Amino acid sequence: MTHEPAAPAPAAPRPRTVDDGSNFRHPLYQVLLDTPGLTVGTAAVDDLLTWGLTNAMWIFPMATSCCGIEFMATMASRVDIDRMGSFVRPTPRQADVMVVAGTITTKMAPRVLKLWEQMPEPKWCVAMGSCAISGDFYRNLYSVVPGIDTFLPVDVYIPGCPPNPEALMHGMLRLQEKIRGQRHGKDFAPKPDAALLKITQPSIPRLVEANRPADLSAAQERASDQPTVDEATPALVVAPEDAPEVAPLVANDFEGLLKEVGVTELPKDGPPLVPAAHHLELARRLKALGYRQLVTIAATHWLAGRGRKGAVADEVEHFEIAFVVRTVGAGSRTAAWAVRVLPGQPLLTLSGVYAGADWQEREQFDLVGVKFAGHPDLRRIMQAESATSFPLRRDHPADAPCAPWR
Amino acid sequence: MTALLRRVDPYLKIEAYDPEAELMLLHFGPQHPSTHGVFRMDLYLDGELIVKAVPHCGYLHRAVEKLCEKLAYVQLTPIVDKNDYVAPMTNELALVMAFEALLKQDVPRRARWLRSLFAELQRVASHLLAIGTLAIDLGGALGGGTTVFMHCFRERELILDLFEAVTGSRFHYNTHTIGGNRHDLPEGWAKQAKDAIRVIRERLPEYGALTIENRIFQQRMQKVGVLDGELALELGVTGPNLRASGVDHDLRRDAPYAAYDEVKVNVVTAQTGDCFARAIVRVKEIEESLRLAECFLDGLPEGPINGGKPTKMAVQTKVPVGQTYVGIETPRGELGTWLVADGTHTPYRLKIRPASLHSLSALPYVLPGHTVSDAIAILGSLDPIMGEVDR
Repeated sequence: MTHEPAAPAPAAPRPRTVDDGSNFRHPLYQVLLDTPGLTVGTAAVDDLLTWGLTNAMWIFPMATSCCGIEFMATMASRVDIDRMGSFVRPTPRQADVMVVAGTITTKMAPRVLKLWEQMPEPKWCVAMGSCAISGDFYRNLYSVVPGIDTFLPVDVYIPGCPPNPEALMHGMLRLQEKIRGQRHGKDFAPKPDAALLKITQPSIPRLVEANRPADLSAAQERASDQPTVDEATPALVVAPEDAPEVAPLVANDFEGLLKEVGVTELPKDGPPLVPAAHHLELARRLKALGYRQLVTIAATHWLAGRGRKGAVADEVEHFEIAFVVRTVGAGSRTAAWAVRVLPGQPLLTLSGVYAGADWQEREQFDLVGVKFAGHPDLRRIMQAESATSFPLRRDHPADAPCAPWR
Repeated sequence: MTALLRRVDPYLKIEAYDPEAELMLLHFGPQHPSTHGVFRMDLYLDGELIVKAVPHCGYLHRAVEKLCEKLAYVQLTPIVDKNDYVAPMTNELALVMAFEALLKQDVPRRARWLRSLFAELQRVASHLLAIGTLAIDLGGALGGGTTVFMHCFRERELILDLFEAVTGSRFHYNTHTIGGNRHDLPEGWAKQAKDAIRVIRERLPEYGALTIENRIFQQRMQKVGVLDGELALELGVTGPNLRASGVDHDLRRDAPYAAYDEVKVNVVTAQTGDCFARAIVRVKEIEESLRLAECFLDGLPEGPINGGKPTKMAVQTKVPVGQTYVGIETPRGELGTWLVADGTHTPYRLKIRPASLHSLSALPYVLPGHTVSDAIAILGSLDPIMGEVDR
């Protein structure tokens, strides 16, 4: 008998789990199979479990918009989804089905995914409404996810804008069918129609603009989207004490005030253009005159060669920021004026005069990219804070396919 | 109480206030902080009291204004339907009125009356939803909370049935067009509407008993979330929220549009400016809107419903160069459209002035000094709709 060196021990097999896709069998399973008559019992138990699963589908409402209202109507008196055992449980940890009802934006999508991951297995996902299915006419816009199946496994799609409560009910019944089928080993793998997969455009086609060259290359479009150096630094604000000193205005009506700041006649094609130096003082005086309500602030981006009268050959690129204020009570009047600023040039904030200007100016900063000097809190408001573009500029592409969020 | 009534500093520097970092930061949302959509607040809590609130919106920013620049004028009504999805009728109205202002388009009298009739019915439906969801927000104290919700949705369905009979859709109606309306009333609609109005009016005392006469409801709402009238004006808060702060301002009466100059509108106000006042104003406005709707129904004139020039293609409707602002009174306040037209078939810039965004901007002023449970009542009583906030 010769002593041979011990053969190297075979590599320990990778511990198998149910999830790794191999033919793992729990040792107990064989015992169960070998016990006569037990399969009948387990099949009965399995049917009982299936019955329970399909008739107690607790819904986690991922309701964001219009479909959420129809979702609520489904829960409410007339339709009452409670009678099929579905019940709204607004916590992911105690729910079986996530109903995504409404548009999912790129800002919301990470949250949806996180909530989905917090739901315990077994779980199902229902895409309710055309926004959740494909993005519909919001598809290819800068902020909308083109269908939640780009990041979630969807079991049932319910078309409609929004689907009626009866349609949601029908969708839930189809989900019950699917669960029953899957428990009996039926294949429910999706068989997508190849023709449908080719559809990448929004349901309402966007119009090509005559004044924007259609052959603008993708690189050019991206370049126009990049913020310039001074735009990227929000610290570039003029301190309020640097504001130019202007004489206080004294007139007692809007027309008089306009004359005082040098606007002699009201233009027919828009609000009067007020010099930026007098802008703050004008607002202050108007407020004292009874225009106590701030209505809106709207900035417009005019490309080079274009202005409020249409094509103007020697016009440079600029922004026109319009302000609307209102008197309160009977016979309410509005006063509107506009200020013209060049790109990169900040305008003094109105938030010291009207507190509501804070959010309005943040919105115009976020979407159009105009800056407000002395603003107490100039951050993005609609887009995520990591966003770099100003989408409401006219040179920002409107129909750029948004990469599926993953 | 005085501490709650003074103006708080929304820009409180939390590092300076709390150098030891002992305050708790509570993320409130964005998945449905209440039944009002996707919205997030960072609440800095001292014990259970809120020291500072930082709202974050934009979770439903659907780029509507960008989309509006890329579609023809007549294609836009179904797009803006989705903004304030609880009151689509008034969304459309604010939009087409801006187009009509620049086009100098006259609207036939019957169309104007129909628009006002729809707007009032829509206000009833919207306020019913607001009260129902507010009751859910307040939760178990109100008999499980869902009782009021179920009652309100029962009546709301009556109005949705009326709209479905006219337009074929439960919401997102697409019924207003430039120069008038697209759908006329079907046979027997007036009787159906009368019945619905009668039923809702009969059941209104139920809501009173369940909400504003309910002692638990009063204790949760009274003296909570006081919004000063002058601050509300500065912030641009409009609608029932403004009127609850004692400001007598309603565009239906003060700057009449559609057919409101032909009827008398009674403006409902309350003086205290707290959550309870906002709830009372909404319940009372349902009553007033039912009266107005009945009035518009009775006096509905005969005639054409559309004075617009028919065009073969959407791109043929071209709005002349100009800029205009049109604001109307929706259930949530002043909804406006700032339209910049450059003479082509698409708007050059279209800014929608939402009522709910301005209501939410009051939160940093109102919330400090309240508890977290009050925060839910306050958010619910402001009745924001996120589709309109974020657009």
